[in-house]
Amino acid sequence: MSSELLKLAVLLAAFSLFVSACDRGSSEAPEWTEVEVTILKSLWLESLPDLPDDPSNAVANNAIAAEFGRKLFFDVRLSANGGVSCATCHQVARRFTDGLKKARALGLSDRNTPSIVGSQYSPWQYWDGRRDSQWAQALAPLENAHEHGTNRTQVVDIVFGDADYRMTYEALFGPLQDTAGSDEVELNTAFANIGKSIAAFERTIMPTTSRFDEYVAALVRGGAQREILSADEIAGLRLFINEANCTQCHNGPLLTNHEFHNTGVLNFPGDVPDKARAGGVREVFGSEFNCRSIYSDDSTGFCPELDFARSGIELIGATKTPSLRNLEHTAPFMHKGQLSSIADVLDHYNKAPDAMIGHNEAEPLGLNVTELHQLEAFLATLAAPVSELGVEL
Amino acid sequence: MISRRAVLYYQLISLFAVLFSGDVSAHGGVVEEDDLCVIKVNYLRAHFKVYQPSTLGHEQYCEDLPMATESVFVMEYLHDSLSEMPIDFRIIRNVTGKGRFARMEDIDLIDDIDSATVFYRAPVVEPDIYLVNYQFAEEGDFIGIVSARHPATGKVYAAVFPFEVGFTGLGYWPFFIGMLMLIQFQYLLMSGRLKRWLGKEVAVATCVILGLLLSPVSFAENLVVTYTTPDGDPEINKMHDWIVHIENDDGLKVEGAIVDVEGGMPKHNHGLPTKPLITAELGNGDYKLEGMRFHMSGYWEIVVSITTDNGSSKVMIPLQL
Repeated sequence: MSSELLKLAVLLAAFSLFVSACDRGSSEAPEWTEVEVTILKSLWLESLPDLPDDPSNAVANNAIAAEFGRKLFFDVRLSANGGVSCATCHQVARRFTDGLKKARALGLSDRNTPSIVGSQYSPWQYWDGRRDSQWAQALAPLENAHEHGTNRTQVVDIVFGDADYRMTYEALFGPLQDTAGSDEVELNTAFANIGKSIAAFERTIMPTTSRFDEYVAALVRGGAQREILSADEIAGLRLFINEANCTQCHNGPLLTNHEFHNTGVLNFPGDVPDKARAGGVREVFGSEFNCRSIYSDDSTGFCPELDFARSGIELIGATKTPSLRNLEHTAPFMHKGQLSSIADVLDHYNKAPDAMIGHNEAEPLGLNVTELHQLEAFLATLAAPVSELGVEL
Repeated sequence: MISRRAVLYYQLISLFAVLFSGDVSAHGGVVEEDDLCVIKVNYLRAHFKVYQPSTLGHEQYCEDLPMATESVFVMEYLHDSLSEMPIDFRIIRNVTGKGRFARMEDIDLIDDIDSATVFYRAPVVEPDIYLVNYQFAEEGDFIGIVSARHPATGKVYAAVFPFEVGFTGLGYWPFFIGMLMLIQFQYLLMSGRLKRWLGKEVAVATCVILGLLLSPVSFAENLVVTYTTPDGDPEINKMHDWIVHIENDDGLKVEGAIVDVEGGMPKHNHGLPTKPLITAELGNGDYKLEGMRFHMSGYWEIVVSITTDNGSSKVMIPLQL
């Protein structure tokens, strides 16, 4: 009889231990290790360094240029049909994306519209990094038949013919000539200056503090971080920086390493698989407006990104890691919008299938449904408005 | 329960491949090498794979394609100079009358290749990798023709690979049946019954003929995989064990092998719901496989990969549940 009682007591003790362990897991503050706190701080928006210099753009930090660039950005006259501006695809309300799988302006583009937010921190623009500055990037869509469908002469003519634009341009860059009397270098210089003004505006577009950032702030400064994120969101964050391997690529305060990775996403129906960076690196070397070009304002010719750029077949199918901030309005995802929701993206990484071309760098994660939901919950905590010159848009 | 017969068929597929791949490669074609599909354009080689991504996801095919649907052909160059050579890609309906055995000579005999052509991509220099996306409108027998022009010599190299889209015809079956009859014949011969029926001379002659027929192929490298299910036939959604038995065709039991088992439903493009593992070697060529489960009825394929000191091989066990 007494042994029966003993058994019961042991069982009860074990059960109460189990219950308290469960309770602890669900409601008590998670203990982050020192290493984890370091990682969390590295992802924190407050860790974002000051705007990097862009010596190739003399007006990069010029407020007049930024305002001029802002007008150009929204100006539909800079298009073949008078209906397309940069904001056609880079819509403010959608965090500078367009909600489409592939960008559509005058025609259908090859890829998904990437956000502008945070792109001033990236050495490479586009999914394939085929431009090496924001200003060089800004010029390309103007002359793309599927996008603005115009050309550099027409663009410079519009600025020349608009009294306000011309006055601003000349205040920034000196006299603007009629394109009829310009040689190639003069025309390209004027065209490049227009791109540099657009870039000056784009540089002012920044992410703002998200709930995740508030959580880290509370963690670092000693605050009530428990109330900021839910247990699921915290569990998702824990997975994000640990088992889910997300921070292998999505690291730093912009949640991107600005690098190129093949993650084995299927081709877009009807398209051949995208060679992506393998082609992009070739193109940036040949770009007439790259860092080494005469249109760069940096006379030192110091172009470390180009000098040390990796190329070759290992970059086949590798696309640039996008930021994970502001995912709330940027679906569909991946370089051709192949995946329509974050759940789909997480499922893709959980399986990590073989790539059609090149090699998928990701390994299957083997996360369960609950863990995937937790990751999804965490990613939603990165939602926040974006700002222009510190003013929320 | 034991699909010895099916295993035999798959041996015959390998036999078929060995018999004919040498011939094809000499003229330029698609062959399998160490699990990789390789296209040989004369001395120029590239990994070759085909996807039907919109219907079959990341599933990879070597030549024959299950469906008439969007098909992405991928050539990953194994020879740098392919990056600099203009390459063209043509798909024609197989009007050669040679079926699987069509070669460049047969293509050259086609009077009007354009009318047989369903897809043509003009020569283009494609750095890094060559890609084609073609939407097959119908099932049937086709021939792919890849040509590359050497930039210095101007010489054109070509690879020809007949393939089937959809399961339109008898495929390999007539060949299997022929081989089975031969094997049965050989059995009768060995067992002495044939000798009693026909007399010695004919039997010797048959032996020689069979020997000639079979001599290019050695079964020595072929492994025979069978399995038993100690707890009765597999039930849907029930985890169970297998005993996997491996021997070579001399009946020698394979011991000390590293055995890996994967499986899935090719038509559904999914794998097993579990990750079964070999948990014990039981001796006598037997291996205990735990964690098998099928979560739906239909056609499954279980692939057993076996690595021994003699190399690696895979045996596929088809299974209808």
